[in-house]
Amino acid sequence: MGNDKYDLIVGLEIHIQTKTKSKMFCSCPTGYFHEEPNTHVCPVCLGLPGALPVPNKRAIELCILMGLATKCVIADEIYFDRKHYFYPDLPKGYQISQYKNPICSNGKVELSNSTVEIERIHQEEDVAKSTHHIESGTGLDYSLIDYNKSGVPLIEIVTKPCIRSAQEAKEYATRIRQIARYLNISDADMEKGQMRCEPNISIQEKGKWDYKDGMITAIGDYKLNPKVEIKNIGSITAVEKSIEYEFKRLSEALESAEEIVQQTRGWNADRGITEFQRSKETADDYRYMAEPDIPVIEISQEDIARISEELVELPHEKIVRYKEGYKLSEYDAEVLSAERNVAEFYDKLVEELDKEIKDLPTSAKLASNSITGTIFSWLNEKGISISEADLDLDDLVEWNLALHENEITKSKAEELLKKSLDKGEDLSNLLDVFRTKAKKSAGNIEDIVKDVIKENQNAVEDYKDGKKASLGFLIGQVMQKTQGTADPNEARSILMEELEK
Amino acid sequence: MKINIPFIKHIAELSRIKLSKDELEKFTPQMKTILDSATVVQDVNTEGKQPMKRHIPFSTLREDEAGETLTQDEVLKNAPHKELGFIKVYGKVFGSIEES
Repeated sequence: MGNDKYDLIVGLEIHIQTKTKSKMFCSCPTGYFHEEPNTHVCPVCLGLPGALPVPNKRAIELCILMGLATKCVIADEIYFDRKHYFYPDLPKGYQISQYKNPICSNGKVELSNSTVEIERIHQEEDVAKSTHHIESGTGLDYSLIDYNKSGVPLIEIVTKPCIRSAQEAKEYATRIRQIARYLNISDADMEKGQMRCEPNISIQEKGKWDYKDGMITAIGDYKLNPKVEIKNIGSITAVEKSIEYEFKRLSEALESAEEIVQQTRGWNADRGITEFQRSKETADDYRYMAEPDIPVIEISQEDIARISEELVELPHEKIVRYKEGYKLSEYDAEVLSAERNVAEFYDKLVEELDKEIKDLPTSAKLASNSITGTIFSWLNEKGISISEADLDLDDLVEWNLALHENEITKSKAEELLKKSLDKGEDLSNLLDVFRTKAKKSAGNIEDIVKDVIKENQNAVEDYKDGKKASLGFLIGQVMQKTQGTADPNEARSILMEELEK
Repeated sequence: MKINIPFIKHIAELSRIKLSKDELEKFTPQMKTILDSATVVQDVNTEGKQPMKRHIPFSTLREDEAGETLTQDEVLKNAPHKELGFIKVYGKVFGSIEES
């Protein structure tokens, strides 16, 4: 993205709450959503003096798993650091995080047309939730703090400044969310704050800058424009929209010779704009120091091997296989791989179907049509996921084979499938009933054709006068009389035979 | 690191502590004394020495099981102000450096 004069440069920081039962450094339960405030806390996550942090093994495994899925180098020693700042949501006065030695570094994520470089993924702890108010009566400012979220495991995934369009940032965030969900690292629900995206944006004049070794550098005596960080992004769409907005705002500011200062802005989803929050003229001073309360944790190759057993084929890998092995379109490949349970159901359906058909692209296309068509629209209508629907794999195989062998028309097949989904009727039974009727009408199709001719003399005249479209109408009448069980090709040839008489 | 009044003022601001001019003049030499005495350790030759920090194997970390928590009453017991189960903090949170 860009315009005639400027290029867009984006780096993305994504925070993800990982799915553990207990908090990062204490045994308090993590499921705080809709819970009473300050009921999931203990001296550790309240930051009481003398309380000691005890790292959660599963949380670190999930951080490593995210690193493995994004082809990162995994450190063999884990160090924690203290990041100091003073704010009511941080009771200790520091956040336990990682500064110099993140657990994962130098990874990459493949997108449809580009590769995003991951600089680091590190482990930290979430802060408390605070809301700000003004007291009625006194007019005093105050904040209400709930420490249930304090200490929930959080990983931060940081890209290099290698993203060049708002669309690419959106695709990357979508991919990260898919990976997190595929591997059960997190539900990554942005509305619940389980995933948070913060783009860092700058625009630079075309041809005046260089990207090398993960850094943006100026060419010659060009002075780089400062970065803007956007916070408060509540959806993947907002990632794209806020970057588009900011690119336009920054371009216009530079064109009207306004000075840009390094700043943090907040996305206002209602108004579709970013709003100034604070300037960052001086570098943040977090006075990092090594966390003395946590020993160095040694990771062995055996540990990594064991964690990597949780890896599964990831969406971008499925897309490649679907496109190359199954000859699916880009669109179908994307849609079928977006959710793990859909992709797994699809893979099983293709496998079973191909035992009969023995032609992979044909089986793959049939299975793809059946899932992305009737089944998806039904799931959408019901607002449920594929795992919540009671789909019988064998029945769907039978149904697809009936279609493949032209036993049934597409519209009739879809009607039966929809009926089975809606009414919870056995699809295999519905197919049996259909076959019985089909057999019956096959026997007397000639009589039915004769009836249709008798009852539709006008259309017959039209046809004889050269209006060939009338034939379609007559075929339709035959199909209606047989309740869709007749083979339309057979109906056509018998009709033509009769009409020639 | 130069221990002077602007530096101590900066540290105080990071800690959200307001210091008067008199206090800054009083505390700056005191902080200097404290920090100077700590610099003694920096003179020790650590060439080729490994940092002395305990190492533990990954397998010995805490298993992910949820345990006991404090009750809401216990949590709020020491809070000077509370409201609807929340801890209440007066004052405008200024110069927000909220990060996570």
